[in-house]
Amino acid sequence: MSVPVARDADTHRLLPWPPAGAIVLETRGLVRDLGTTVKSRILDGIDLTIREGEFVSLTGFSGSGKSTLLYLLGALDRPTAGEVRIDGVDIGSLDDDGRAALRGAKLGFVFQFHFLLPEFTVLENVMLPILRRGARTRSDAEAHAREVVESLGLGELMQRRPSQLSGGQQQRVSIARAVANDPRIILADEPTGNLDSMNGMIVMDVFERLARVQGITVVMVSHERSFAQRTSRQLVMRDGQVVEDLDQR
Amino acid sequence: MSRVVFFIAMRQLWDRKLLNGIAVCGVSLGVLTLIAINGIMQGFQHKFIDNILRISPHVTLFDRQLRPAPPLLARAYDGFVVTDVAHQSPSERNLRISRPEEIVRALEDMSEVVAASKLLVGSAVISRGSQQFPVEVRGIEPTRQDRVTPIASYLQVGNYHTLEASPDAVVIGSGIASRIGAHLGEVIVCGSSLGTRLNLKVVGIYESGIPPVDNHRVYVTLRNAQALLGRPDAVGRIEVKLREPDNAQVMSSKFEHMFAYDGESWQETNANFLALFVQQNAIIGFVVGAILAVGGFGVLAIQIMIVLQKTRDIAILRSVGFRRSDILGCFLLQGAIISLAGAAVGDIAGHYVIQMLGKLKSRTEGLVKSEYFLVYEDPRYYYYGFAFALSVGLLASLIPAVRGSRVEPVDVLRGQLG
Ligand SMILES: Nc1ncnc2c1ncn2[C@@H]1O[C@H](COP(=O)(O)OP(=O)(O)OP(=O)(O)O)[C@@H](O)[C@H]1O
Ligand SMILES: [Mg+2]
Repeated sequence: MSVPVARDADTHRLLPWPPAGAIVLETRGLVRDLGTTVKSRILDGIDLTIREGEFVSLTGFSGSGKSTLLYLLGALDRPTAGEVRIDGVDIGSLDDDGRAALRGAKLGFVFQFHFLLPEFTVLENVMLPILRRGARTRSDAEAHAREVVESLGLGELMQRRPSQLSGGQQQRVSIARAVANDPRIILADEPTGNLDSMNGMIVMDVFERLARVQGITVVMVSHERSFAQRTSRQLVMRDGQVVEDLDQR
Repeated sequence: MSRVVFFIAMRQLWDRKLLNGIAVCGVSLGVLTLIAINGIMQGFQHKFIDNILRISPHVTLFDRQLRPAPPLLARAYDGFVVTDVAHQSPSERNLRISRPEEIVRALEDMSEVVAASKLLVGSAVISRGSQQFPVEVRGIEPTRQDRVTPIASYLQVGNYHTLEASPDAVVIGSGIASRIGAHLGEVIVCGSSLGTRLNLKVVGIYESGIPPVDNHRVYVTLRNAQALLGRPDAVGRIEVKLREPDNAQVMSSKFEHMFAYDGESWQETNANFLALFVQQNAIIGFVVGAILAVGGFGVLAIQIMIVLQKTRDIAILRSVGFRRSDILGCFLLQGAIISLAGAAVGDIAGHYVIQMLGKLKSRTEGLVKSEYFLVYEDPRYYYYGFAFALSVGLLASLIPAVRGSRVEPVDVLRGQLG
């Protein structure tokens, strides 16, 4: 990767974040209880407003509820109380298929362990969400996937299987898959947790570029201070609540 | 179902060639068994029915009258008349079919009927030198009878039509000929229980391929049989050949209705064997069903294993926009493809097994006589193979597929990420 997008090409100084756009993600009084016999309140009333093009980092101690919040934001889980709105749509009002369609169209996920499908090549892994969402033809889907894969510097690895890639490469492929359908929001749970600092930097650069250039909202759970500080906004969680909300523009 | 689901299913199948190959083998063994066993069973049954249909009439009218024509008195007067006198029941009289020639003519005029012929059947003993042998004597009208049950074509030696021409001829079965050592042109003595004896000349020896017939039946003219059995002018039965042998049941009751004589279809005549076949087929069906079910359990076990291994991948697919129904379809599709592949392999293998068995030399004697292993290739069974395999495969993959579709991505993610 060449010069990170966040820096001026000549002076290498940090560029200011562009102004945030419309509201894409909103939670109101979000509560989540977990546990089968003994219920415990994992999320305790979360109110958030996240806008287009924001790069939000979510930090906090282990067990503070970061992943739980992320699954709710990603329509993978249902809240005990409260609501989550994506582009103004209350996901509580959607059925299972509706939420699946929403995930396919507006959301992209990146996890700590780069969950790629082992039977498929890099290119095919990126194509699957495009095909599911309904590309006009297979070659359309392939062309688009190729573009995405190349933009992440993976052009030469396209025909490889995930098992033939390094951890950092796999993580970039899962980012490629997450952005394949031009999502509004990318949700990442410790995407750099399993990578060395070099690969962690690369992943951060990719997210930053997506947020700055393409206006994609990125919400990233991270344990690494230096990465959290690079984002435009930092949320700190403790015991199921957001205790700090830092604007880092 | 969208194409991408098909794409995923195919790739996942292909990536587990060994496991899925084993599942395919299980299904194809079931289908192979279905086809091979049915080929063998039907080989025998078809040969048997084939022989029956060649040598037996399709419908026989017997001399048992069903409803005696109402007495003249009853027709002449209104009111009460004694019409039934106990000691006059037909069974105590000397039975015969009255006006048989009229019935035969009427039958032959019907479009469903190919030919009809009068007979008188009884038992007798034939002797040649010191050899004696009990036989069934059939008095026939040779030309007509040959159109109902072709005997002439089964003649090994001699000339069938001599039976018509000469007054004292007999055609005997090959089994009888070998037992009493009779040859063409020899004179044998035929005696009945009444003591009547006729000297008859062997003008033909036939072999129908049905040992019970070839070993016991001799043909003489109707007139000779009447003389031998002491029943001048009597006709004991009328045999009918139909255009459609499968309609024999229906036609038999129609004839009963028309002529008021007891009719019997070839199916009724051979009800014992046909019932045996039904039973045989039921047992075979059960065995084949069990083997197919075992194949199904193979698919079930392997698919459950695959679904368990794939929960992580299911969670990913669900998180990138795939629906429950896609996951369900994906695994059902894999089950369907496994069973279709199994059916195809089983069908092809079954075809070759039947071909091979058919070339196998194997003497059969008993109910039917054959030089080769009897097999019958019924093309319908190839479709049945597909249908059964597909239903078993789909049924078997239903449980794993439903299980897969119920995977909650968030459960998988929590388990993996904490
Ligand atoms: N299925 C469950 N049943 C009950 N409690 C659960 C369940 N899953 C998670 N928890 C609890 O919920 C709390 C929050 O979990 P969560 O995974 O959101 O934390 P986190 O902030 O992501 O932690 P980490 O940084 O370790 O990933 C934890 O205390 C955890 O023990
Ligand atoms: Mg977590």
